[in-house]
Amino acid sequence: MSLRTRIATRWRALFARRREDQELEEELRFHVDMEVAARLRAGMTPAAARRTTLRDFGGLERYKEECRDARGISLLDAGAADLRGALRALRKSPAFTGVVVLTLALGIGATTAIFTVVNAVLLRPLAYADPGRLVMVWENDRNSGTTREPASVPDYFDFRARSHVFSHLAALQPRALSFTPPAPGADAVQLSAAAVTKDFLATVGIAPRLGRGFRPDEDVPGAPAVALISERLWHSRFASAPDIIGRRIRLGDSSYSVLGVLPDRIELPEMPPGFGSLQQDVDVWLPLAATPVSSPRERHDVIVVARLRAGVAPAAAQREMAALAATLEVQYPRENRARGVFVESLPASLVRGIRPALAALLAASALVLLIACANAANLLLARTVAHRREVAVRLALGAGMRRLAQQLFAESFLLSVAAAALGIGIAALGLRALLALAPRNIPRLADVSMDPRVLGVALGIAVLVSMTFGLLPLFLARTLDVQDALRAGSGRSGSAAPAQQRFRNGLVVAEIALSVVLVIGAGLLIRSVWSLRGVDPGFQSDRLLRVQYQLPASRYPQSMAAFPHFPELSGFHRELIRRVEAIPGVVSASLSANGPLEAGFTNSFVIVGREAEAEHQAEIYIRSVSPSYFPTAGVALRRGRLLSDQDDATAPAVLLINESGARRYFPDGNAVGQQLRFWGQARRIVGVVADEKFEGPGAETPPAVYPPLWQVPFATVSLLVRTHADPMAVLPQVRAAVRNLDPQVALYGVTTMDEALSQSIGKQRFTMRLLGAFALLALVLAMIGVHGTLSYAVTQRSREMGIRMALGAQRGAVRRLIVRQGMRLSLLGIAAGLLGALAATRLLRTLLYGLTSTDLVTYAVVTSVIAIVSALASFLPARHATRIDPAITLRTE
Amino acid sequence: MATSNADVLQGTLDLLILKALSLEPMHGWGVAQRIQQISRDVLQVNQGSLYPALRRLEDRGWIAARWGTSEHNRRARYYRLTSTGRAQLQQETESWERFMLAVQRVLRAQPA
Repeated sequence: MSLRTRIATRWRALFARRREDQELEEELRFHVDMEVAARLRAGMTPAAARRTTLRDFGGLERYKEECRDARGISLLDAGAADLRGALRALRKSPAFTGVVVLTLALGIGATTAIFTVVNAVLLRPLAYADPGRLVMVWENDRNSGTTREPASVPDYFDFRARSHVFSHLAALQPRALSFTPPAPGADAVQLSAAAVTKDFLATVGIAPRLGRGFRPDEDVPGAPAVALISERLWHSRFASAPDIIGRRIRLGDSSYSVLGVLPDRIELPEMPPGFGSLQQDVDVWLPLAATPVSSPRERHDVIVVARLRAGVAPAAAQREMAALAATLEVQYPRENRARGVFVESLPASLVRGIRPALAALLAASALVLLIACANAANLLLARTVAHRREVAVRLALGAGMRRLAQQLFAESFLLSVAAAALGIGIAALGLRALLALAPRNIPRLADVSMDPRVLGVALGIAVLVSMTFGLLPLFLARTLDVQDALRAGSGRSGSAAPAQQRFRNGLVVAEIALSVVLVIGAGLLIRSVWSLRGVDPGFQSDRLLRVQYQLPASRYPQSMAAFPHFPELSGFHRELIRRVEAIPGVVSASLSANGPLEAGFTNSFVIVGREAEAEHQAEIYIRSVSPSYFPTAGVALRRGRLLSDQDDATAPAVLLINESGARRYFPDGNAVGQQLRFWGQARRIVGVVADEKFEGPGAETPPAVYPPLWQVPFATVSLLVRTHADPMAVLPQVRAAVRNLDPQVALYGVTTMDEALSQSIGKQRFTMRLLGAFALLALVLAMIGVHGTLSYAVTQRSREMGIRMALGAQRGAVRRLIVRQGMRLSLLGIAAGLLGALAATRLLRTLLYGLTSTDLVTYAVVTSVIAIVSALASFLPARHATRIDPAITLRTE
Repeated sequence: MATSNADVLQGTLDLLILKALSLEPMHGWGVAQRIQQISRDVLQVNQGSLYPALRRLEDRGWIAARWGTSEHNRRARYYRLTSTGRAQLQQETESWERFMLAVQRVLRAQPA
């Protein structure tokens, strides 16, 4: 037969079954008619002829079946029959089906939701061309032990001129700009901006959507003001006007000509602490217009992005740059003291903060899926074993193992598909809840959505795993001793084959072990978050409002020659404080270059009289504040005095030091009266204040000094407002106060400090909540497993129990027998789980606070909780066992 | 049915069908009648085996089927031998004869 006809036959056989059947029927009818005619000719009466023919012929259906078999289509048909049969069987036991489907769906849903997030945040490719070759070139500081710091502009030019490992190097500086929308009467808004060198776009490999990037002659000092805007800004503020190129837009106090529109997804890593609040949402790109001499070498105010030359490994780049940094250190011993370079892959740098949490959550959801599968396997197994007499009979009668496999396969296929369908729903709901809980600083979270491809992959894996587990009973059926099973009398009360009971017990032990791992992980995080919540932040976060603003240099000049006398700047600041404090409901107001929980910036310094030590001193945090800062934020004075309004630009330079700094540099307790020198000025310490947290509640407060804002002025500040009642209630008046002083000044970063404090531990809380949910789920599933296994064992042993009771066994003894069996399983599971947890919770190390991943208390509490819960789970079947009526169980034989 | 009749030995049905169809194309009933007739009613073809066998042979490409009109002007499914079927018949006939010969030799064996 030619291939063509062979295929045609197959096709017909498979898909044209109905026509095929009709043809066969017609053919058989023809046969019958011919036979009847022949018998008539032989002298029979018509009625007798027809009757005898049909009798001899037998059932039509049988022939159809046999002919189909002859055609080799039985497999597919049998498959359909199996599915129908499985569906019938599952419908007959809705409780069993419901529990299995729900169990699997929860596992699949959890895994799919987490995987969707992981895919969007960690796996989805970056918009950059060949992102694997993009690196961040950070500077680091051996004295401070920092790893990711900005570079200085002169360093950047030296990197460019002297390195050979990069094909492109670009520098970037976060900026904040107020933007006045073109609509008449619109309030100014604060935009996130970045000033970049001319080769930034070439470095990251991104082309403008519209227009063009910067030309080299536009990235020089004094060039005409030009800007690139984000697609987002173009859509939201310019209604996607096609003639945007060449338009002039108002940024800060100047007008810029728009050169082009850049795609939105230019993702940059989290900036070093205190280095601007640049996140993913840069809306305006300006030329940096830097030259090797435009900024001093000790000012570290640019981050460097570079593209590795083809074939250059990041490690090779690290080696060359480290050598270059060492050369620069020799060349500029003052400015580059203890400075090194850290080359870090840009994609890794982007997700550095969230990767450990997501990895832990993905692992946790996979464990939940495994537990769910073990549970489902256990239930399926219980059913198979309950039917084992039937199975044994069929095997004895020669039914193929294959048929049995097909039936199990059909059942677990249906169960997994139903579970997958339900799982998608659970994943969608879970994803929504997860996004609502997620801290805002997870990159790319806005882009998380149920991608059908991801969904396909996740579901495929989930179904595969659950089906594999569904087929486990099959391998056990192989061990089924047919004779033994048949001899055992009624399958219901015969004891299960030991191999199977062992296997089922093994599954339950594994379930408990896995849930112990999850519960311990969750326990560790819960304790961490509790500790973090209990940390004294060093300021009073309640009834405290924070808003930020920036004064443009054009109307608030800050010429270095006049430093620190900037009358316009301090005039605005002072007047704003006065007006805000006049608002009813406001207790006090203050300004600070960096408020509570804002890390701020560091600078090198010298203790007057101890100059030699400066060589190995870490930089110190400089937190310029208005004198009202300490009462407003609630930072306590420890020694000496606070700042006062008399400490202005004309008065002697003074500052406060925090306790951490006093301890580090003046361990003898004599800080007050000493002098620190930075920015060319010696400043006398007049007081010591409490340590406020500014790198998050989990971090030790580093040494910091607080000079008065009037002596160390800043144009970008946080306004803190302490109120009598709800801090948000005074926001409209605060806005009005700013607008009345200068309508061009935009407010941003509006938050209550309670909210900011809670956000600062957002990552831990997020991980804790999800892990807690998973742990709870795991625990419930494991307990269903314990309960199910024991209930089944009780049913299996009901005859034995009946005999025991008939012979006078006390209820208590019978109960103990069952509970003991359950406890043996859970203790084994707990022991295995504790070992697993010791290894697995290392994943959580970076998320823990105030305890280690081997925290004894957590382990002890979890162990007892699980022991108690599983005792309860065993108690129910045990109580059931005592209710067995010996008369009934013995009679059922 | 008469007791002298024998159901067609399993395994030989295919061979008999091929042989019958090698004489002329015919429908299923015709095949059964022809085998019964040639064997002088010794070999009875069970319909239950006939049609699955026809389907199987068709599937293997040894026979081909086509709807035609019977002598009584009714629609009937006619089978004919294909060229591969003819070769198969040749081959099966030879092996059947070898088998028969072997069985005969055994049956006629005399005590030594």
